[in-house]
Amino acid sequence: MSRVRQLRALVRKDVLLEAHTKETIVAMALFALVSMVIFQFAVGQRAGDSSLIAGGIIWATVSLAAVLGVGRTWVPEREQRVLDGLLTAPVARLTMFMARAIVLTLFLLAVEVVIVPLGIVFFTRQIAPSDLALMAGVCVLANLCIAVAGTLLASMSVFSRARELVIPVLLLPALVPVVIAASGATQAVLGPGTQLAEYLGYCRFLAVYAAVFSLVAYATYDHVLDD
Amino acid sequence: MRVRGVAHAFAGRPVLAGVDLDVAAGERVAVVGPNGAGKSTLLRIMATLLTPREGTVAVGGTPYPEGVRAARRRIGYLGHDPLVYLDLTAWQNLRLFGDLYGVDGLDDAVPDALARVGLLPRAHDHVRTFSRGMAQRLGIARMLLHSPDVLLLDEPYTGLDAQGSRLLDGIVTGASSGTAVVMVTHDLARAHALCGRVVMIARGLLAWDAGTADVSHDQLAQRYAESAG
Repeated sequence: MSRVRQLRALVRKDVLLEAHTKETIVAMALFALVSMVIFQFAVGQRAGDSSLIAGGIIWATVSLAAVLGVGRTWVPEREQRVLDGLLTAPVARLTMFMARAIVLTLFLLAVEVVIVPLGIVFFTRQIAPSDLALMAGVCVLANLCIAVAGTLLASMSVFSRARELVIPVLLLPALVPVVIAASGATQAVLGPGTQLAEYLGYCRFLAVYAAVFSLVAYATYDHVLDD
Repeated sequence: MRVRGVAHAFAGRPVLAGVDLDVAAGERVAVVGPNGAGKSTLLRIMATLLTPREGTVAVGGTPYPEGVRAARRRIGYLGHDPLVYLDLTAWQNLRLFGDLYGVDGLDDAVPDALARVGLLPRAHDHVRTFSRGMAQRLGIARMLLHSPDVLLLDEPYTGLDAQGSRLLDGIVTGASSGTAVVMVTHDLARAHALCGRVVMIARGLLAWDAGTADVSHDQLAQRYAESAG
């Protein structure tokens, strides 16, 4: 039985559910949009060179929006009482994990398509086309980090009664290193003069973070869902 | 299917206290007992949804949790709920579970399964628009899609109308000679009519095990009342 086929089916299922309900991406994007506007009113007019803080604002906003997305993980299964159907299927738990992480990465990318250009317009004066590619690199790496950590924590709390509280309390501290590194990489791109060495250093940190959390998920995910 | 010495507890309260049960290929077994006796817990353990504190379960010689994925491939499970996504269409649900179970030829298998439960005309409607009974019929189609060797049914008639109940009766009695059926039910008449054996679970133990050819429905009801206390 092909794991790729199962993975594709699980990803397609989540995309179809989202296309029908539009509950997760719309909530994440609206929240992020409103947050960016609030940040613009709060600091946009006062900061001397706001490109220095643009990265922090973008990634703080993305990680808060991610809490909404992570919080919606497993909600259709719980609300529609289909979790037992999924858990009795002969699917490796790691395949379920990868599907969730891929879907969360896609949702975060959809939010960033709105947020990153808005952040550039609000907080920086100009950006070279080549810098957009570097920003895309930060987004992909940071999304992987958020998706891997978020999926693991969401699955750990799937049977918890207080999951709405548990997820932000556990996820936000876990994302602090991601916010620091992604903000640093963004500042290296959007700030005065692109600092390529600094950018690569932060990207390496993000890659290591994603790898470490992936290893933790690989080692524990069977027990997370089955026990 | 072989269950040996299975014991389980929730929050320190024993629910099953060492149950043994053998179900041969082609055999139909009804599990009865009062509320809280441990019937559904036993079925959830057999369906790989719970890991027992003690004891072992095996399907066709494959024990689990060691061989759990191989066992899951051979089991079809239907609970009180149909275990399908309400925000997907009937077709999308069966396509999903067909892919998860590695069913070949889904372009033919999905419409065949939907036609079998009378839902082909509603194939592309979202399950949220279905009645409870229609959703349960879709759950039956989901359970049968991968041609399992063992059907585990936990009060499967919940929400089914007369037509749906007859459909499920036909599936239970018409299961192929190699398919074992284990059905948890409170309906003694149906258990007696459909199954070759009835086992009673009471206070976490297998209280008795009777062939329906040997006892009448009234005798079964009397034994049930005595064991349930």
